Amino acid sequence: MSPAGSTRARLHPLAIVVFARGMIRASIIPVVVVAFAWRPTFVVPGLLALLGIGAAIVVLEWRRFTYRIEASRLIIERGVLRHTTRVVPLDRIRGVELQAPWLHRVLGLVRVDVEAAAGGAGKAELTLAAVAAAEGERLRRALLAGTRPAETPEEETASERVLYRAGLRILVVGGLTSGRYILAPLAVIGVLANFADDLPGGFVEDVLGSAADRAPTDVLGISLLAVVAVLLAAALAAAGSLLADWDFELADDGERLVARRGLLTRRSVVIDRARVRGIDLRDSPLRRAFGLVGVHAVASGLGGGRSGRAVLAPVISTEAARALLGELDPDARLDVPLEPHPVAARTRRVVRAIALPAALALGALAAGWLWVAGGLLVLAAVGIPLGLDRYRQLGHGFDGGRVTVREGSLTRRWTSLDPAAIVSYSVERSPFQARSGLCTVVLHLGQGAGSRRVLDCSEAQATALLVRLDAPLLGVFAITSEPRPSRPGLAP
Amino acid sequence: MILREPALKLDPRVQRLWMVEWIGAAALAAAVTVVVAVPLALSESDVAAVVVGLGGGLLALGLVVLAVVQPRLAYRRFGYEVTELGLYVARGRLWRRWQVVPHARVQTVDTKRGPLERYLGLVSVGVTTASAKGGTNVPGLAVEVADGLVEELARRAGIEEGT
Repeated sequence: MSPAGSTRARLHPLAIVVFARGMIRASIIPVVVVAFAWRPTFVVPGLLALLGIGAAIVVLEWRRFTYRIEASRLIIERGVLRHTTRVVPLDRIRGVELQAPWLHRVLGLVRVDVEAAAGGAGKAELTLAAVAAAEGERLRRALLAGTRPAETPEEETASERVLYRAGLRILVVGGLTSGRYILAPLAVIGVLANFADDLPGGFVEDVLGSAADRAPTDVLGISLLAVVAVLLAAALAAAGSLLADWDFELADDGERLVARRGLLTRRSVVIDRARVRGIDLRDSPLRRAFGLVGVHAVASGLGGGRSGRAVLAPVISTEAARALLGELDPDARLDVPLEPHPVAARTRRVVRAIALPAALALGALAAGWLWVAGGLLVLAAVGIPLGLDRYRQLGHGFDGGRVTVREGSLTRRWTSLDPAAIVSYSVERSPFQARSGLCTVVLHLGQGAGSRRVLDCSEAQATALLVRLDAPLLGVFAITSEPRPSRPGLAP
Repeated sequence: MILREPALKLDPRVQRLWMVEWIGAAALAAAVTVVVAVPLALSESDVAAVVVGLGGGLLALGLVVLAVVQPRLAYRRFGYEVTELGLYVARGRLWRRWQVVPHARVQTVDTKRGPLERYLGLVSVGVTTASAKGGTNVPGLAVEVADGLVEELARRAGIEEGT
């Protein structure tokens, strides 16, 4: 029942479940609140009645939801009480993502997320909650074909070439070095603390109390406990990484990059190669020690807010990353030496790394919380090497083809950027920077790709970089001896 | 110095606009302070009333000082210029920002006139780009100047796209 051309197509009935889930999530709290206000005898029939109404609405919602592609526009009609029609010209569609949460996978379905540019700076996302997997693929092809001007309709996808596939081992190591799950135990404690008051009879207190009674107090016992905790956190980290990035594969069909990943929810993201304007390499001190990085695309139309869409490799060895980079963008170069920033930038990095904990430590000291003050002082001390490393990582370069900027220590970001992606330029200077003769150059990129900055470079470096990036545009603003040009004509 | 000063200044009347805006903020702060502090004083929470009154009063006073000082400084430090290829805007004294938006990347050119601006005969002109933060604006131009600027920006942006 794959709909051709202009027939209206309906979603798979599983969409009812998806709609219902959304409805329950939206209404559970008010319903519970209201139910508490009802008389007890009325609660069960009342809830049943609400459930019936909800089910009817959800089914109607599914019945009324139709989509079609007509005259190179995607048209979605929906609405139970208020009928709405959304029309999106295909050339406004920036990206299509297929996702298969586990229930979808069991039934051979996918969810289709369409990212479209709305007028102006806004953007809109349309979701088809559940369609057959083949229909999803067909839709993706049809929707994205519209983004390319007049081209022969694509036959079956040209042979895909796999650029990178993440093995089991590297994913495990990647999870262990991600640092993402260090906070997991804290989250568990937070949730427990939240529930502690709600559970009957001081249940949590009892458990914690008995746990505390049995907790070892000798050195051996405590260290054993610590080892177990670390192992548990490590196992969680590895499992999380495997879950999210299982069988990660990046393929190239000549015009698009396709990234597939995930164990339970299988996601696939298609990135138009023409929209890739640069490459981000991200790592952390731990990953640097293991020679690992993550590779992300700097691309427009991926919905900047959602993380993970632009991932080209969740974790990859540095040598493999170099090879991958060569495949993705032959002009990108990571071995070019970056221009270091002035020494004043080092002072600034260090001061900024220690300022907050030091100030808080003073406050704690004044309040007489010696332990807190001590901890904060340790944090401030850690800030010194951190600030020094942040300065060491700072750098920028332009070899005529690609701009390279690098910053950060705990999460270092190393970006290679096509200057054609730059939409506008700005230079910012705070009073503190002004005193040290520093400034920050911001390169704004279009359509959700954000911006990249050259942090704390000298004023001369800023001017030189800008003039080299776009001499005709920016050269006229660089400081020259002539004071002011004649007033530019407002009337031609 | 990083980039040179832009050639053109805003209309001097923009100082009055900014001053009124600051005074409005001060009035709002004062009003909120009174509304919060008076009931506190009446309900015999004297300490709270004093704290709120003092804090709010100082805030309002600070805003009045800003209303006197800031517009003149901001006016002096605001410049713009249209060149062959782009719009150049520099603003701010302590926190200084230089922006260059190439005409080729401009998506829309728009004007804005609030009631106060209309009263003073001023127009604010803005340009937007594909990047949410990549645009800029020139507040407080005389109507004729703004018309000319919009005309020129639109023409230059259009020429780049049309050819």
